[in-house]
Amino acid sequence: MKGADRYRRFRGLPIALMCGAVFSLFFVVAGSFGETASPALSDQERLHLGERIYREGLLPSGEPMQAYVKGDLPVPGTSFTCVSCHLRSGLGSVEGGVYTPPTNGVKLYQPHQPLFKNMEQKYFPLPLRRPAYTDASLAEAIRSGDVPPRYKLNDVMPRYLIDDADMAILVSYLKSLSSTVSPGVSATNMSFATVITDGVKPEERDAMLSALDNLVNIKNSLVSAFNTPRGSRSRLMAENMLGSREMAVRTISVSRWLLKGAPETWRGQLEEYYRKEPVFALLGGISNEDWRPIHQFSEDHHIPCLFPITDFPVVSDTDWYTQYFSKGYYQEGEAVARYLNTRDEAAAGRPIIQIVQASREGQALSAGFLETWRDLGHQPPLTVTLKAGESLSQDFLRQLSNRENPAALILWGGSDMLPAVKTLAEDGNRPGMVFVSSSCLGKDIWLLPEQLREFTYIAYPFSFSKYVAASSMGSKPAQSDAPTSLRLKDVTIQDRTQRIAGLAPSLVQVLVMALMDMRGNYYRDNFFDVIGMIPDQNSPLYERLSFGPGQRYASKGCYIVQLTKGPEPELVRKSNWVIH
Amino acid sequence: MPRTTLISSFVLSALVLVLTLQPAVAETKYQRTIENYAIPDVVLVNQNGAKVRFRELMQSNRPVIVDFIFGTCTTICPILSVSFANLQQKLGTDSQKVQLVSISIDPENDTPKVMKEYLKRYRARPGWDFLTGTRADIDKVMYAFNAYIPNKMSHYPLTLIRSSRDGKWIRIFGLMGSSEFTTECRKVGIQ
Repeated sequence: MKGADRYRRFRGLPIALMCGAVFSLFFVVAGSFGETASPALSDQERLHLGERIYREGLLPSGEPMQAYVKGDLPVPGTSFTCVSCHLRSGLGSVEGGVYTPPTNGVKLYQPHQPLFKNMEQKYFPLPLRRPAYTDASLAEAIRSGDVPPRYKLNDVMPRYLIDDADMAILVSYLKSLSSTVSPGVSATNMSFATVITDGVKPEERDAMLSALDNLVNIKNSLVSAFNTPRGSRSRLMAENMLGSREMAVRTISVSRWLLKGAPETWRGQLEEYYRKEPVFALLGGISNEDWRPIHQFSEDHHIPCLFPITDFPVVSDTDWYTQYFSKGYYQEGEAVARYLNTRDEAAAGRPIIQIVQASREGQALSAGFLETWRDLGHQPPLTVTLKAGESLSQDFLRQLSNRENPAALILWGGSDMLPAVKTLAEDGNRPGMVFVSSSCLGKDIWLLPEQLREFTYIAYPFSFSKYVAASSMGSKPAQSDAPTSLRLKDVTIQDRTQRIAGLAPSLVQVLVMALMDMRGNYYRDNFFDVIGMIPDQNSPLYERLSFGPGQRYASKGCYIVQLTKGPEPELVRKSNWVIH
Repeated sequence: MPRTTLISSFVLSALVLVLTLQPAVAETKYQRTIENYAIPDVVLVNQNGAKVRFRELMQSNRPVIVDFIFGTCTTICPILSVSFANLQQKLGTDSQKVQLVSISIDPENDTPKVMKEYLKRYRARPGWDFLTGTRADIDKVMYAFNAYIPNKMSHYPLTLIRSSRDGKWIRIFGLMGSSEFTTECRKVGIQ
């Protein structure tokens, strides 16, 4: 009812706009926003409130902004926030043929003369070339779309009904938005770092570093060519290869931040590295431990971290500053929950049991299953957590199975759990389905006992495709070449080192695209804004890497597979890459 | 040349100019065609996680309106969705007189949870379903409506309105205002 009232108020739009115009006129006479805004607010409070208007569409009163799009479509500001089109950095976006211009203070208060290099403008007129805004003309544009002397903003830009005091707060925020180039960027260099923790094998570390080193060498030699006094051809080549003049004049450097000792001590080490060298972003990185301390460091300092190699990412819907390849082990647990949800057996009322090894892997798999299972509207399964070093005994499993008669038994541990299930099967008392993780089993996946194969389902988070298309822009869907079964010899990536070597090119590819698309706007928030606009990418490991504003796990799928019988078994797909 | 002739010529030229410009001013900003589509028999999943036979949903005896969106879309989808929300608002308690269907073009990310939250943001009422599915099935749907895009970032605004009277589709390419959308809806009997 409250919502309906809110909409009814829009019927007074013409009056509101006239009032707005009168207020605006008064404003021009009265002076700048700063002088008229509430003096009770500190600068920090004003910025916080401005950020809330920009990102959430909520006014300082807590009420949603009111707005119109397409002339007469009333919209609540909460579903049409500034950030949704102009993005977190305020540098704007190009999506679906619509160009959204920058709205950060630095750009607003200078004339806008956009060049449309590489820009798709199929369906809409080119954005206006306008003079520099003043506080008053900016307020007018936000309210009515009118831009002096004679321009009008595209009608997909909402016209917001904001009073003077709130407008002053919003404008203050826009002035602060992406106002100074982020740390780590000088006129001649962009500095990055990669975080490597103790315990990583040298060959695994090198598999990640070699791709980055290769990029740095190529990039910096092009910059060197650009800076050479000889001939214009090398300058032209460098500028074209690097996508922008800003990249052609800047080298890049990637420092190694080596973290020693226990994860509890990492934060202090990271702070010290950062104090000595405030880098623009973290690239890649590798750890066998939980990535959380580094994730939290990125969140707290607003430092983007692109594609760290970890099986233990932080899984969050809201955190912003780390872009992962996938959710790691968690994703396999998630896939099992989704698959089980599609099976009739799960709805039949028989219980689900998960047995969890007391390990990081077990916990991550279990968390993925539990949270997804709950979101799908199911009661929690019966969970048994084994103590560290404890094995799954035949007697315990037999008693449990006799008592519960489970529809599905989920084993979040290694192949040492399987003999107990095998005994159960030999007794003729097997559960309906058994689920295991391929990442936990490793190469033992191919040694799954024959008796178990018929009813054992394996979470397999990797691609079935043997080939990677050369271009992501082709009309052929990425998964179309995926076969339905996979033999051991068809698995081109056999160990963790090869896996990392398969991931590193995607890190470099996305980094290069981001640096080009930033076009000299070297603000950290813009780094992930432009990555959010990148088209889907192919990967030798995953069926598809996809991006979008706020999407932080690029690979979103995981197959459920089974192993065929016989001495040369094959993995057979039993689900789609993404299970709904 | 006499002065009156000069003035007449000027007035005539001005008139011709105005008349020439008029259609451009009056022209709608979207393209509209009438189409027939063969609907694929695929099973998609809605925001509640329920399976939906797409062909049956499309061949409803109610008018059907379809668009293509994704949960993290920045520019076009919010406008399309606001049009749906306003139509439901206008229909009030009769919101189920028309079947609104948003089809995800980012099926990897658009899970039932994401779609449910999206619809909540637009205060969707019963009668508006957001559908996801396998990429292969979503591709079939896009192909069927001559709306295939290989990548979500290159999408475009498309609204498809099916009349339950003759099963024909009004295909609208571009973004409509509220009154334009209402006018198009009236043509298939949505009042």
